[in-house]
Amino acid sequence: MLSIYLGKMDGAIYHPPTYFDNQYEDEWITEELSVCMIRDVDHSEVVSARLIESPVLGPISTKELSGGVKTLMLMAFDGTGKVFNASVCGDNCAKWILEIANRKDLTINLRHIMDFGEGGFEARILNTGDMVHDMLGFARIAGKYV
Amino acid sequence: MKGKHRIVIQNNRLHYEFEVKRNISIIQGDSASGKTTLINMLRQAENLGDSSGVEVVCDVPCRVLEGRNWKLILENSFESIFFIDEENAFLNTEEFAASIHGSDNYFVLITRENLYNLPYSVEEIYGLHASGKYHDTKKVYQQMYQIYSNTGSIPVKPEKIITEDSNAGYEFFKAVSEERGILCESADGKSNLFAALDGIGREEVCIVADGAAIGPEMNRLYHQVIKNKNIHLYLPESFEWIILNSGLIEEKEIKEVLKKPEEYIDSKGYLSWERYFTKLLMDKTGISYMQYKKSKLNPFYLHDRSKRIILESINGIRF
Repeated sequence: MLSIYLGKMDGAIYHPPTYFDNQYEDEWITEELSVCMIRDVDHSEVVSARLIESPVLGPISTKELSGGVKTLMLMAFDGTGKVFNASVCGDNCAKWILEIANRKDLTINLRHIMDFGEGGFEARILNTGDMVHDMLGFARIAGKYV
Repeated sequence: MKGKHRIVIQNNRLHYEFEVKRNISIIQGDSASGKTTLINMLRQAENLGDSSGVEVVCDVPCRVLEGRNWKLILENSFESIFFIDEENAFLNTEEFAASIHGSDNYFVLITRENLYNLPYSVEEIYGLHASGKYHDTKKVYQQMYQIYSNTGSIPVKPEKIITEDSNAGYEFFKAVSEERGILCESADGKSNLFAALDGIGREEVCIVADGAAIGPEMNRLYHQVIKNKNIHLYLPESFEWIILNSGLIEEKEIKEVLKKPEEYIDSKGYLSWERYFTKLLMDKTGISYMQYKKSKLNPFYLHDRSKRIILESINGIRF
């Protein structure tokens, strides 16, 4: 289940990629979900926990992954209960946020209107308590807060 | 600072090339499109110069603004282009907005947040994309593209017009609309445009707003336009730009300015272009019968000939 807090949120991790660099665990990188997200968003292949093959940059370290995919991994694997600012994620991360929220209860902070795509999705807007089921409903509420 | 500045940043694998022509440009778009890499390359070039292996080509210094001393750096910098990454929390503060005001520098801001305290243009919100390999098979060529290039199909024949403006611009569109049986209302400011769309039915609606400063509103307006085919955005630089561009005021200098506004508009004097166009129109109409005042529309602009010339130049609305 996806819950979204819109606008500035006290206690949320403002820049998750920096948090990731200092807190990630090697085993997150080789999880099947991470491998798929890195392949889809960064167009890169996980060689090992500490080596990624990027088509543009060549062999890179985990810390050189995109801010978007680092934030997705935090959403998926960080066990601290922290809420991450998903506005460092581009729209190409949206489907993965929905996928992670299918697997667990996930709360994110959004400071812009992310495009979750044409299909339906379920999310609770924490600011209002409303459930939204598609982009039209989401954008109508989100526009009041971001 | 004035002018259009071409920027090339490259190493052995990446080649970024783009132009900036206003004081504020925004880069957003998909993850993994190279935004942070761009900042990292610039930072390396700034710190190590040629030793970095990064080549930066531009007619003014390109620098990264970050850290606690950002304000001090800014106060002592002139004629530079500053790149700021989204990790800098000062980006969306009033303090930063105040520092940009009157600055002799240009800014390229990497953020998806809507910076409501800064008036940036819809035309200067970009994404980055790889446009293919460059020269050889190793190097990837990165360019900017305008994110809001599709703002609803225009020209439109509207049943209702909503203007951002509540003064002269609104008075003009209201007068023209009344003659044609079109509803016209003012949102009384760009920040009210989103709320003004609440309750819109199936009628064809055209929002008229200043493209030069509507940037922060685009994220939420754009989703409404995409999802509601009957909502259209007409975003000229400003109402004053419409008049200047119409040819109603026959001045050679106006034509020259409109061809390349960036060569005339100094970031130090004008936070956004629409303020310059207002001043230009006021200066050119002086205290004549054409005298333009933003607060109240001079009836001259509603005379048949004036109206016809202005309306003919509006390419976003069919009256």
